[in-house]
Parts: sequence; structure tokens; C-alpha cells
Amino acid sequence: MINKNTSVKSSLIKNSRLIGKIANILLPLMLGVVILILWQTEILHKIFNTDVFTLPLPSRIINIIMDNQAKIVLNIQATVMVSVFGLILGSLLGYLIALIATIFPKWGAGGLTIVSAFNAIPIVALAPVITNWTKDVSKDAEIRSMVAKIIVVMIICTAAMSINAYRGLTELKPFSLDLMKSYASDNKSIFLKLRLPNSLPYVFTALRVSVPASVIAALVSEYFAEYIIGVGRQIRENIVLAQYSTAWAYIMIACFIGILMYVILLIAENIMLKNR
Amino acid sequence: MKKTKKLLAILMGITMMFAMLTACGEKEESSNFDAEATAEEIVVKAAEAGMVGNWGLGNEYEVQALLTKYDQPTTYLSQAFDMDGFDDDSIMLASAMTYNELGLVKNSYDGAYDYGDSVAYIDMNDEGVAMLEDNLFTTKAFAEANPNTVKAFIAASMKGWKYACENPEEAAQIVYNYGSSVSSEHQSYMAAEVKKLVETDMDGNTVSDYGNIDEAAIKQTLELAQQYIKLDDATAADKLSSMAIDDIMDSSYFTAASSGDFGTPEKTSVSVQLKWLPQAQFMGYYVALDKGYYEEVGFEEVKIIPGGGDIGETTAVNNGTVDFGVTWVSNLISANAGGMDLVEVAQVFQRSGLVLVYKLD
Repeated sequence: MINKNTSVKSSLIKNSRLIGKIANILLPLMLGVVILILWQTEILHKIFNTDVFTLPLPSRIINIIMDNQAKIVLNIQATVMVSVFGLILGSLLGYLIALIATIFPKWGAGGLTIVSAFNAIPIVALAPVITNWTKDVSKDAEIRSMVAKIIVVMIICTAAMSINAYRGLTELKPFSLDLMKSYASDNKSIFLKLRLPNSLPYVFTALRVSVPASVIAALVSEYFAEYIIGVGRQIRENIVLAQYSTAWAYIMIACFIGILMYVILLIAENIMLKNR
Repeated sequence: MKKTKKLLAILMGITMMFAMLTACGEKEESSNFDAEATAEEIVVKAAEAGMVGNWGLGNEYEVQALLTKYDQPTTYLSQAFDMDGFDDDSIMLASAMTYNELGLVKNSYDGAYDYGDSVAYIDMNDEGVAMLEDNLFTTKAFAEANPNTVKAFIAASMKGWKYACENPEEAAQIVYNYGSSVSSEHQSYMAAEVKKLVETDMDGNTVSDYGNIDEAAIKQTLELAQQYIKLDDATAADKLSSMAIDDIMDSSYFTAASSGDFGTPEKTSVSVQLKWLPQAQFMGYYVALDKGYYEEVGFEEVKIIPGGGDIGETTAVNNGTVDFGVTWVSNLISANAGGMDLVEVAQVFQRSGLVLVYKLD
């Protein structure tokens, strides 16, 4: 009897957890569907006092995406490549700066302040400067534009990582550093066994900021690139040409890229930080 | 001490990386042309090097038509709104407006590049790929609801254009006083060049009817637009391919305006959205405002709103933020294909002001 009772209880708990998990996914999804329905039936247009010209219907947007798959894939490739490479390089550079700052604490604080100052430069100011500066990188406009865009994303992603990683490398659990020292461990093993694992959650905190930022930086830097490609560039070209439906199609795609990259990050974080 | 050395080494490493990045890719091949070279030779050489520049954003169709004429692919480099790319040889054949960038390249005043006669250019009008540029437009709905306003605005504006073309120096000064984006010397240069575009048609004949819509020219513009405007939206693309000149222009307002056949304006406070920053490109409107021509026909207030960058004059007029706009005919065509209902009521520039400029040996 007692046994049966507990098993029922535990299955109930399991069930309610499952329901909770499903609700976690289902509720936002339903909200999305409701908004989509309101949008397609033009109720959304009445609420926001706009028309189907400025905010085209989802059906038309989807049609445009379906009709232009090959072209859209090319633009997605360009944008994703820039944001991923920029993100990786920027994060590595940021971590390296944090590392240097940890090794040389006297220089560190000042150095990090300068890095965060870089982060305050708006992308619209940075992108044309970098485009001009990388003109001699290659004779091929496609390559030098790509380099320019990656550098912009890199600069944007560096600050978040360096500041967070610095905290992860220095804000250790109380006495853990003393403990390591009492074991007579050298700097190398302190770094590998204590600082590095301690910084991992901070790295993911940084990535949560820089993943969306990398996508935005990639989209905006495309505006100023010499070679015309990318999802952001298509949004601009189409808005200037008053092609709002096509612009919206690319806006949807930009959202999709951002969400997908964020989901990938969350999954990676789940796996990496599972045993903590 | 050791730490400092390490740090210095790291710093050195970083500096070297930057230096390498900036130093690589030296240019060897000449990007200049022989004075005897034909337009075809020039276009082909620049296109094969992938060094034809244009600003894009709807300004590229004439260049694409020219590239097609000489069997080249229609890709081009995205050119910034200065001529640095031409100056540093990353663009061999650069787009320039006769009244603006061409002056900056040739002249020696402050902010210009002082190339003088060491540059030459290919004129879109000579190549038969010219499209009409600066016009005056509004929405069909506004024109139908306020016909007198439209006629009166055309009449006063064209009077302004007439005066400006007769007195370009004074017009340039007036524009400069209204908040210029460029120096007064450049403003004078621009006024003189704009006068040529307003008073000469695509074939080089003189036009005395300021603002007249030449049907043959607008037809050529529409045909080139239908060929080179690429729209991803199937609905818009269909609309573009079936478009006729009556879908984008209505000359009845201009005809009535030039004969002075209109009553009092229905709307006495109107605004006009320019395509670009305040400059002599739009001198007619500034002169009409300065000389009180708008008041003469019954307006109480006329606002001239400068554009620039990504401000879409078609969007501003379409959503009613402003009443009139100045845009290129090709931009109006793509806007109407996209679902706007705009109509051209006067055509100020009678020929294309776009040229492709190159350096001579």
C-alpha cells in the first residue's frame, strides 16, 4: 500500500513537471499563433492603426520567401558567416584580454575600461570607418567586405566577453584560491583547475549578450559594406525601394537567424553546465 | 620585470598583426585610361576588374543598362556618398552626378579632390541609357482631392525654377542661406550644372518649358526600369511589368498650371520632401519660397523638408507626412509597383545627370 502510494505520488510529480515543461513551450507558442492569426485577419492592423501596405500579411511574406529561396539562402549564408566568425573571434579576443587582465591585475582594470569604451561606439559609426580601413586587404570586394564586417562584429562581441570572463577568472569561491595555494599548486594548475572552470558560467552569460549583438552588428555592418549581400542589406534596399513586403520577408528571416542562434546557445549551455 | 617584458611582447604581436592587415595587398596595375579609349573599352575594362561603382538603392539602373549594352554582368561595387573610393583607386569607374560628385572630383575648392582635366566621364544621355531623375510628385488621392493646390504649387515652383536658371549665382546664394550642406563655391557650381539639366533634354535640345513631362523620355525611363528593377515580390513584379506611363504620370496639372488656369488652393499650407540635403539641386523651390512666389498663388505656408541618407521621399508622401516630393522617376516606378499610388505632376530635370567618371593617363 505504502509503496504504491509513493509511486503514484512520484508519478504525479513527474506528470506535473512534464505538464509544466509542456506549458513552458506551449504557452509562448500559442501566443505566437494568436498574434499570427490577428495579423493575417487584419485585426492587428486595426489595433495599430496601420494598413496592409506598411505591415503586409503573413501569407504574402511567406509567398515571397518561398519564391526566392535560392537568393535568400545566399544572403543568410553571408550574414550567418559574418556573425558567427565575428562572434568566435571577438569572444576569443575578449577572453584573451580577460586573461591578460587577470595575469597583470594592475594593467587589467584600466585595459578593461578601454575595451568597454570600445563597446560604446555605435555600429553605424564603426562600420564605415572599418570599411575604409580594410580597403587594401584584398582586391576582391567580396572578401574585403567580409573582413570589414567580421571586424565590426568582433569589436562588438569583445567587450561583453572580456568583462564577464574577467569576473569569472577573478571572483573565485572564498578560500578556494587559498586552498589551491595550500596544496602548493602552481599558477598553471590554479588556472586550469580553478579559474577556467569557474569562468565557464560567466562565458555563457557573456554569450547570451553577444549572440544577439553579433547578429545585429552583422546586419547593420552590411549597410556600409562595399559588396552588396546579406539579410540586413536586403532589408535596407527593399525599404528604400518601397518594397515593404519583401523587406518584411527579410526582417522575418533576420528574426529567425537571431532566435535560432540563441536556441543553439541555450542547448550548448545546458549540455556544458549540466553537472554543476 | 619579466611580466613587463611578456606584456611588451604581446603588445608588439598585436601591433604587428594590425600592421600586416593594413599593409597587405599593394596595388600594381594602373586603373587609368587612355584619352583615346572608347566608352566600350572603358566599361569593359572596369567591369572585368569588378571596379564599377554606384550607390545602389535605386540609383543603379542606368549603370546596369550601360553594362548590359556592352555585354557585361550587372554587378557593381557599393559606392559611399563621397568620392574617396575613386580617389584611392578602389573604384575605377565611379558614378557621379554632373552637378555634385563630378564637381567635387574636378574642382579645387575646399572639400574637393582637384583632379581638373585629368579625369573624363561617360554620359548616360550619349549612351542612350538615360533615365529621368528629379521630378515633382504627389499621391493620386491628394491630387484628386486638391487639384488647385497641385496646379498652384507647380506654377509657383516652376516660376522659381525659371528665375533660378536665369540667375544661377543668385539662386545658389539663396539655397546657401537656407541651410546648405556644402560650401558656397560648390553651391554655385551645382546651380550652373543643374541649369543645364533643367534646360536641355536627353538629345541635347533646349527646353524652355520648365517642368514639362516629355512622354518619349518617360517612356524610355519606364522601359529601362522594367528591364533592370528586380523585385522579389511576385505581386510587385507583375505590377511593374504591366505598368504604363499613365500609371506614373499625369500631365494635366502641369498643362493647367502653365496656362495659369486654376482657382484658389484647397489646402494653403503644404510641404515638399526633397530627395537629398539642401543644395542647388533643388534651387527652384528655394527661390520660389524666397521670392514669395508661393504666396502669390495663394499659399499661406510652404515647408521645404530636406532629405538625406535613407529617408524615403516616396514613403513620406505616400503616408501623408508631406504633400509633395522630389524623387527620381525610377524610384516612383518601384514604389508604385510595391503598392503605392503616386503620380508625377512635373518633370524638372529633362536629362540624366548621371555620369561614370574615370582617370586619364
